Amino acid sequence: MKLLREPLLHFLLLGAAIFVTFSLLSRHKVDKPGEIVVTQGTLENLVTGFTRTWQRPPTQEELRGLTTDYVREEVAYRRAVAMGLDRDDTIVRRRLRQKLEFLSDDLSDRVMPTDADLQGFLQSHVDNFKTETTFTFRQIYLNPQLHGTNLHRDETRLLADLHRAGRQSDLTSLGDPFLLPQSFQDISLSEVKKVFGDQFASGLSAVASGRWQAGVASGYGVHVVYVVQRNEGRLPSLTEIHDEVRRQWLDAKRGEATDKLYQTLLKGYTIRIEQPEEKKVAQVR
Amino acid sequence: MPPLKTTRIALVLFLSTLGNSPVVAQEPSPPEQQLESVFPKKPPYSPYANRHFPERVYWGDTHLHTSFSMDAGAFGCRLVPRDAYLFAKGKEVTASSGQQVRLARPLDFLVVADHSDGFGFFPLIFNGDPKVMADPQGRRWNEMIMSGQGAAAAIDIITSFGKGTISKAIFPVPGTASYQGAWEEVIKAAEDANEPGRFTAFIGFEWTSNTGGNNLHRNILFRDNASKASMVEPYTTQKPSGSDNPRDLWKWMAAYEEKTGGQVLAIAHNGNLSNGRMFPIIESFTGKPIDREYAETRAQRERIYEVTQIKGDGEAHPFLSPNDEFANYERWDKGNLDLTVKKKPEMLEFEYARSALRNGLKLEQELGVNPYKFGMIGSTDAHTGLAAIDEDNFWGKVSASEPSPDRATHAFLKTENATIMGWEQTASGYAGVWSTDNTREALFDAMQRKEVYATTGPRMIVRFFGGWNFDANDANTRNPAVAGYAKGVPMGGDLSNAPASKSPTFLVAALKDPIGANLDRIQIIKGWLDAKGETHEQIYDVVWSGERKPDSKTGKVPQVGDTVDVPNATYTNTIGSSELIKVWKDPQFDPSQRAFYYVRVLEIPTPRWTAYDAKYFGIQMPPEVPMKGQERAYTSPIWYTPGK
Repeated sequence: MKLLREPLLHFLLLGAAIFVTFSLLSRHKVDKPGEIVVTQGTLENLVTGFTRTWQRPPTQEELRGLTTDYVREEVAYRRAVAMGLDRDDTIVRRRLRQKLEFLSDDLSDRVMPTDADLQGFLQSHVDNFKTETTFTFRQIYLNPQLHGTNLHRDETRLLADLHRAGRQSDLTSLGDPFLLPQSFQDISLSEVKKVFGDQFASGLSAVASGRWQAGVASGYGVHVVYVVQRNEGRLPSLTEIHDEVRRQWLDAKRGEATDKLYQTLLKGYTIRIEQPEEKKVAQVR
Repeated sequence: MPPLKTTRIALVLFLSTLGNSPVVAQEPSPPEQQLESVFPKKPPYSPYANRHFPERVYWGDTHLHTSFSMDAGAFGCRLVPRDAYLFAKGKEVTASSGQQVRLARPLDFLVVADHSDGFGFFPLIFNGDPKVMADPQGRRWNEMIMSGQGAAAAIDIITSFGKGTISKAIFPVPGTASYQGAWEEVIKAAEDANEPGRFTAFIGFEWTSNTGGNNLHRNILFRDNASKASMVEPYTTQKPSGSDNPRDLWKWMAAYEEKTGGQVLAIAHNGNLSNGRMFPIIESFTGKPIDREYAETRAQRERIYEVTQIKGDGEAHPFLSPNDEFANYERWDKGNLDLTVKKKPEMLEFEYARSALRNGLKLEQELGVNPYKFGMIGSTDAHTGLAAIDEDNFWGKVSASEPSPDRATHAFLKTENATIMGWEQTASGYAGVWSTDNTREALFDAMQRKEVYATTGPRMIVRFFGGWNFDANDANTRNPAVAGYAKGVPMGGDLSNAPASKSPTFLVAALKDPIGANLDRIQIIKGWLDAKGETHEQIYDVVWSGERKPDSKTGKVPQVGDTVDVPNATYTNTIGSSELIKVWKDPQFDPSQRAFYYVRVLEIPTPRWTAYDAKYFGIQMPPEVPMKGQERAYTSPIWYTPGK
């Protein structure tokens, strides 16, 4: 009975049910030509609307006015639709489309994913949820303009000395003056990119932990780097990020439902797009 | 651990040669005491301990509009606050013109600051809200927009707003459901996007005082979250609930803080379009000289100023600073905001940051308080939902000026007085904030202490400290900030009580944008008030790239050169420096005179956005269009006030 638990089926069933209900309701209303019924419900709506605007209920006279206006609106509406005035009106068309799409949007709010649904979604969208790799590292900067042709030699010497000192090196007097900190703790790769640029970030990613390494370049110059700790990005468990997965799952289902809606609607239509004789449309690069 | 010590000594020796200082004697090892002097204090085991000062600059935009601003919407913007925050975080979005767009690098923070007047008005017009459609004016605008005349509708809406002729029946005002709904949505977008430590989404809005077309706009920024911000609705300029007078805005701010226990700040912008009203000596609302109450409240409420943005740069004007060859930068000085009144030269003094800082000293002498003691930031003021102002990724002031072959050559604004062409839009700027953390509270507090600076787009790092005891060695330390905070005050700070026969010293440093152009020079701009009550300014070239020699007569450092290849929209970093550092002492200090000092950092010349457009679209720009420029940063000043 796996099919019964398939959310898309829920969408379709619910959708069908609502469309049927709506079309029945509206047929019921429209199907009696020559009669306009102002129902109790309509009257209540008129009163509520008035009260919200004016902060008091309408007087009897005002309610009569509202009712007359409603009847006029209804008869004008019927005539206008009969005359096809809605067809070439951008605003009406857009509103109707919005309403239709809202209906399918609403549906997805009522379908509750099971944990199994979410787990499956999580597994198939790993990139959406994976945490970023973070680095705890230290860096010493060499300014190429201060070293000229000796840059490589100086870098190698610095590295050799650092190797001997290891992690405990006192860095405060090493390298060249630099406005960025020498030590960073648990900084994500995207933050590294923001601070040092892409080049340095990919260099840092390639550095092995636990030893000084030279030759990491940035837009500023070169850096000798010591990665103290590297925490790989990981996929959190569903319980850690349940709400976020659910949000994205619903977004995805909404998209699917809208696509499905149009597929269904377009069944039975052939689409023919007339081509202009000469292609004069500017190519946008 | 003898081996370690030996290594350290070796390192010290080795690095002394690196640092261009005299070579120290070779082995054998110096005695223990000497070692102690080289390593005066063993640093804590954890290199992260004992750091209480801001180590990082956070980048952001305090001034971005979405379709919730009625002019933005009318000009074609369809993006909502939620989209704006996603874009700032580095996500790719579809711009209103249908093109895909993404930032080269994410920002660290963003304020969506939509106009409080008519908040959410445009979505009502666009969606054909029944009330709007029932009104002849509303219906007309809706039909104009629907039939593709959005730009004409926008101008009509803005003009009608300026004249106060928008129909009361359709205009959302505080207290109505549509207004509250829009505010709730703005707050929700910020709450959803805010990720303390990673990305800060401030709640904010823009108060748009524009009487007579004169720009007195202020952006309001909340330190607080939804629980406090939703206790109020944005302050508007429309009477009776609102006002166009900044004094009333300040009262509203005080009332908010009183009511909620929260905090807000206000950031003014575009003095260049205020026609002499942004930094007044005579208040335009009363015709009287500003008083102590005005000065006190403004100094308290408006601690930073947005000095550069798409509608021009507002640091200095060549008319006011004829000796400043860099003052003529991205100038917008044809008139007020809607070009209904032409600019007159006598207005300029009350529009530009540098002259306001100078007048502030004068007013402080008279009133006892300096109303114009502000720090400086840049922001975009884009009306596209896109904080995209890199020269090679510039998405324009409004959605109608998103990239297209003719956006530069179309008039941006045209009246009988003047025309502003599309190419005059300035791809600028961002705010750099020295903050201890990327949170609403930490960034807000950094803004309040003015530890901020403006750039015209590039993310260069700039440090600026003032004190009495900086010496040349402080510029040679590996982390200049340690000396900076230990011996002085950072940008935005104050110096007073000059020690006998001492002049103030400044430690200044700049590091280029990691993916940007090299630096040309660092300048310190000093302004002061003399004994006769007159103000002056002087620009000092403090440190520059290469071997250039200052001119013997003017003292000015010659131009850095130019590597820009305009047809290919490229440049090379073969000139300029990646980093500049220097300790500078004021050579003409008089301890009895009030003064301010701020830093201007200049990049080497790079292609302007118009060059990137010309290359991409394969078009020829008219000869008057500038194709390159020197981008820059302006720091908040450090003030010197004589002791009492």
